[in-house]
Amino acid sequence: MRQIAIYGKGGIGKSTTTQNLVAALAEAGHKCMIIGCDPKADSTRLILNRKAQNTVMDMAREKGTVEDLELDEVLLHGFKNIKCAESGGPEPGVGCAGRGVITAINFLEENGAYGDDTDFVFYDVLGDVVCGGFAMPIREGKAKEIYIVTSGEMMAMYAANNISRGILKYAQSGGVRLGGLICNSRNTDKENELISELATKLGTQMIHFVPRDNEVQRAELRRKTVIEYAPEHKQADEYRALAKKIADNKNFVVPTPITMDELEKLLMDYGIMEKEEVVA
Amino acid sequence: MSSTIKETQKMIEEVLEKYPEKSKKDRAKHLAANDPTGQCSTCQVKSNIKSRPGVMTVRGCAYAGAKGVVWGPVKDQITISHGPVGCGQYSWWSRRNYYNGQTGIDTFGTMHITTDFQEKNIVYGGDKGLEAAIKELHGLFPLGRGIGILSECPVGLIGDDIEAVSKRAAKEINIPIVPVRCEGFRGVSQSLGHHIANDTIKDYVLGKGMLEKTTPYDVNLIGDYNIGGDAWASRKILEEMGLRVIAQYTGDATINEIGIATKAKLNLIHCYRSMNYICRHMEEAYGIPWMEFNFFGPTKTFDSIRNIAAKFDEKIQRNAEAVIAKYTPLMSKVVEQFRPKLEGKKVMLYVGGLRPRHTIGAYEDLGMEVVASGYEFGHGDDYKRTYPEMKEGAVIMDDATLYELEEFTRRLKPDMVGSGIKEKYSYHKLGVPFRQMHSWDYSGPYHGFDGFPVFARDMDMTVNSPTWDLIRRKK
Amino acid sequence: MKIRDHSDLFKQQDYQEQFERKKEFENCWPAEKVKEVSDWTKTEAYKELNFKRENVKINPAKACQPLGAVFCASGFAGSMPFVQGAQGCVAYFRSHLSRHFKEPFAAISTSMTEDAAVFGGLNNMLEGLENAYTLYNPKMISVCTTCMAEVIGDDLNAYIKTSKEKGVVPQDLLIPFANTPSFVGSHIVGYDNMMKGILKALWAGKKGEANGKINIIPGFDTYTGNYHEIKRLMSLMGIDATVLADVSDTFDSPNTGEYKLYPGGTAIPDAMDGVNALATVALQKYSTVKTMDYIQKEWGQKTLTLSPIGIRNTDNFFEELSKLTNKPVPAAIEAERGRVVDAMVDSHPYVHGKRFALVGDPDILLGMMSLIMEMGGEPVHVVCTNGDKHFEAEAKELLASSPFGAHGTVYAGKDMWHLRSLLFTEPVDVLIGNSYAKFLTQDTGTPLVRIGFPLFDRHHLHRQPIIGYQGALNLVTMVVNTVLDELDRKTEGSASFDVIR
Repeated sequence: MRQIAIYGKGGIGKSTTTQNLVAALAEAGHKCMIIGCDPKADSTRLILNRKAQNTVMDMAREKGTVEDLELDEVLLHGFKNIKCAESGGPEPGVGCAGRGVITAINFLEENGAYGDDTDFVFYDVLGDVVCGGFAMPIREGKAKEIYIVTSGEMMAMYAANNISRGILKYAQSGGVRLGGLICNSRNTDKENELISELATKLGTQMIHFVPRDNEVQRAELRRKTVIEYAPEHKQADEYRALAKKIADNKNFVVPTPITMDELEKLLMDYGIMEKEEVVA
Repeated sequence: MSSTIKETQKMIEEVLEKYPEKSKKDRAKHLAANDPTGQCSTCQVKSNIKSRPGVMTVRGCAYAGAKGVVWGPVKDQITISHGPVGCGQYSWWSRRNYYNGQTGIDTFGTMHITTDFQEKNIVYGGDKGLEAAIKELHGLFPLGRGIGILSECPVGLIGDDIEAVSKRAAKEINIPIVPVRCEGFRGVSQSLGHHIANDTIKDYVLGKGMLEKTTPYDVNLIGDYNIGGDAWASRKILEEMGLRVIAQYTGDATINEIGIATKAKLNLIHCYRSMNYICRHMEEAYGIPWMEFNFFGPTKTFDSIRNIAAKFDEKIQRNAEAVIAKYTPLMSKVVEQFRPKLEGKKVMLYVGGLRPRHTIGAYEDLGMEVVASGYEFGHGDDYKRTYPEMKEGAVIMDDATLYELEEFTRRLKPDMVGSGIKEKYSYHKLGVPFRQMHSWDYSGPYHGFDGFPVFARDMDMTVNSPTWDLIRRKK
Repeated sequence: MKIRDHSDLFKQQDYQEQFERKKEFENCWPAEKVKEVSDWTKTEAYKELNFKRENVKINPAKACQPLGAVFCASGFAGSMPFVQGAQGCVAYFRSHLSRHFKEPFAAISTSMTEDAAVFGGLNNMLEGLENAYTLYNPKMISVCTTCMAEVIGDDLNAYIKTSKEKGVVPQDLLIPFANTPSFVGSHIVGYDNMMKGILKALWAGKKGEANGKINIIPGFDTYTGNYHEIKRLMSLMGIDATVLADVSDTFDSPNTGEYKLYPGGTAIPDAMDGVNALATVALQKYSTVKTMDYIQKEWGQKTLTLSPIGIRNTDNFFEELSKLTNKPVPAAIEAERGRVVDAMVDSHPYVHGKRFALVGDPDILLGMMSLIMEMGGEPVHVVCTNGDKHFEAEAKELLASSPFGAHGTVYAGKDMWHLRSLLFTEPVDVLIGNSYAKFLTQDTGTPLVRIGFPLFDRHHLHRQPIIGYQGALNLVTMVVNTVLDELDRKTEGSASFDVIR
């Protein structure tokens, strides 16, 4: 069983990318599971074809305690029998969402949610590792591979670099490794080259460049992945390609995050950022 | 520097030898040989500093200071331990703050009330549950005069807004609802909890009570938690002197007493450490002077009675002399009975924030000598008050660890040790007579003229129990 | 001279007058009002209101996870319980356990404060391990957590690795760990988590030759007498048994004028050999769920949960053990059984038909219910603050199995304030619970048999066994004599004040 965590800046398309990627893996015959680690709980809806599933924390709140929760209340099966769970959590500004992630993963583990026959477990994690809870999926014995979803936009790249820094800390003490950057294209200038270069600087690879295509949105409106909604569409093949690359990936590294200056230089080298902007 | 001081310093250095470098450096600042004159610059200990991780400090936390010490004894307040179940469980009626009243009806001292946080309260926040809990409690205990919310660690970590909850709820049910931010990770010991609790007294209750008339002899009895009835024994003396105690802080106290304290003419403070804050506030805001006193043992009690009386008119001063005259024979009888059995015995003390200095006189009245003393959570001002009370070369300890206490015991060979429950049974194993000096070992009172005979009896039974001789010591 | 302490001093006239005078300042409620409310709290209406309560516990009979964890950790030789989190918790655990056992209890805190809340507790762990190791020379440091470390999400595994890499403790020092959030479960779950953590660390994948032994896991059992008793029984059976987390010396060590930081406990090599045993037998169920599951799945070992409280439970215990080991139950044990049953036959008239209320931990409750019904007593209220739905189902089933259980109701998740209401609206003859249940006795007049944890206000009760046939005899003695004491109290001054009963 391979456990994989997907990180990336909020709004970058992590959940959409993850679900399409997992759908492609499942289509290829792999047994997969997705665990949403974000209080927004939108990591499984395209697989389950529904608005949102009952989350571990919501159900625990309803029952009173986690101990009274049953696995089948929070572990659902969707497209190609993909297993789906969401940690859930509070509205922004109250409580402790990070603890929700810890609770949910502990609950799923203790109750045998992963099973013996699962090939891939994907953790779709909230944009930033803001506290210990959001690092739960990459603690020892959990995800050993991380992919960062990014794009050619400056903030997405900042975030990718920051996340690498977080991984570095865990990679030094545990076994977690960076498997690559997934470029979810925003059609910015020289995006492909830029992310490839960033990947090189971080000591990793751009594992796949997912072009922008409106078919993704059309599928999403119907609460489906492209794989399910339009299996013949060329965008579906992009996700299949990504899935294959991840399944075959052997390139796992301890990342080498770069400094702010280096990152800004990179952006300037590719003409994304003008010299004056830096001064300003 | 005198030789006794040097000798003690050498012993301290030996004890410190075992520590890893960083902790040794830190611990060295907390241990010293006593210099009663205050001349020796290396004889001052550092205090009120973070305990080193892993050394086995004896200290507790801010919650223990705020709930266990200051607010817990207020008998007609419903005190909620807000957070997981443990804190309230472990501090449940363990301090014996005696009170009169019908528990569960008009008083709530021996109850353990908690919001019993579950995982969901951490993840989604505990404010809604707290608000509902307040309403449920008000429904079940309509005679509660106030509600205290004593927060535990998670409440602060997840950023709950208990102040807003309190404000809303207080509007609805019209009794003081006091949010106390005493999460255990704040500060370095119980001490910050005392301070936080004092501040909430000031902000939520002080100045709000009902008192029909005042007299020139109105005083507050501050910093007495009525452990085993201490405050009642102290109150008896003050009343016999002709003073009128309008408020007890906080042993056997009611919310009303806490409120009317601002109408007193003088604040009499026993435990300075835990309640000096509110005294200073009443001095600044209401012009009420305050003075410390000591009702342990006849010598200090007589002194204190005269010092207190000096703040009042001749009538009170005459009463004071009459009280002293009345009790002198009784006190002499106690000394006569017990001193021969205790004369020359060496005592080591390690207690909280007051008794390491305040009980020294009582021991001396019985002919005993305190050879080492230390505070769990004292500050610089406590130590300043301690140095002159102790002999030159005595050991002064701040935030001592289990290791240090054991080592000093081996070296000083005290005839008895006075400390807490965590220390008690290791001393029993060592065969060293031991008395709990937080809870009076479930005895008491120890304050005042009714307390001293009990104190003397207890020290005698501790030092002279035949059970110590039954221990077959390994050679 | 007559010295009066608090127990009679304050009954004297002068103090009674003082208390009256003090009322001027108290703003206390008029006596009639207090009486009115007091009477109301005894009504059906109040009970209804009380049972509607959802957001607050009043006098709950449970503690938090790390208490159970440090208790468990102290049962291994040379093991120092070590708690990552704020320091007050450890002060409380130490006090709490010392008050029950009247024994010293050492445990370490990493004294986390506000900076650790923000930056995480790694530095506290590093310095804590270094200091604890240097000062107290442990063979093993058993790490658990307070709620503070849990909320901020400290990664124990990574921290412990880092500490070994940095060399603050030796690379080969055993440092098992367990996450023990106090906002999940109770002390019995903490025991379970720590036990599982220790076994995991000790085993570390090494399996050797079968040793034919039996592992015994007592669970969160605070009767040191039970540990001595189980060892005695195993030796009578001729079974080579290893008690895992043997706290009997930790909490009942001989006085030799010496203070030993590590007075005993299960030897580490013995514990390590546990993986090679024939089977593991747990004497409690609800404090060993995860551990037993782990042993069954990871060790592939036979696991049995056999709680020997009461006659039939003990019968079952020996039957199963005999089957497991192919050893007959020796005549000596059979004779013990006969003697206890004889005692129960003798005492039955005073217990038959008596109504009981019970409060405590799940396993003790199940055992006591069983024993009481064996005597013809009727469990009426069974309150288990830390009981989950599994306990509730099991307890209901037990009640249904006997005609004496017909009037019983199980209250999982309820507390002693709920029980107070029940004792007024549906009174019972005898109450069984820990020391805090004495406040129920004060309010309702129901006589209390002190069984469970904590027992603070009576000495040495925990030193007698309550398991096995001998334990059943001790329990029967306590119960029947409580009934008889109460009968004396009730008949004082009447003809029924009998001398022969």
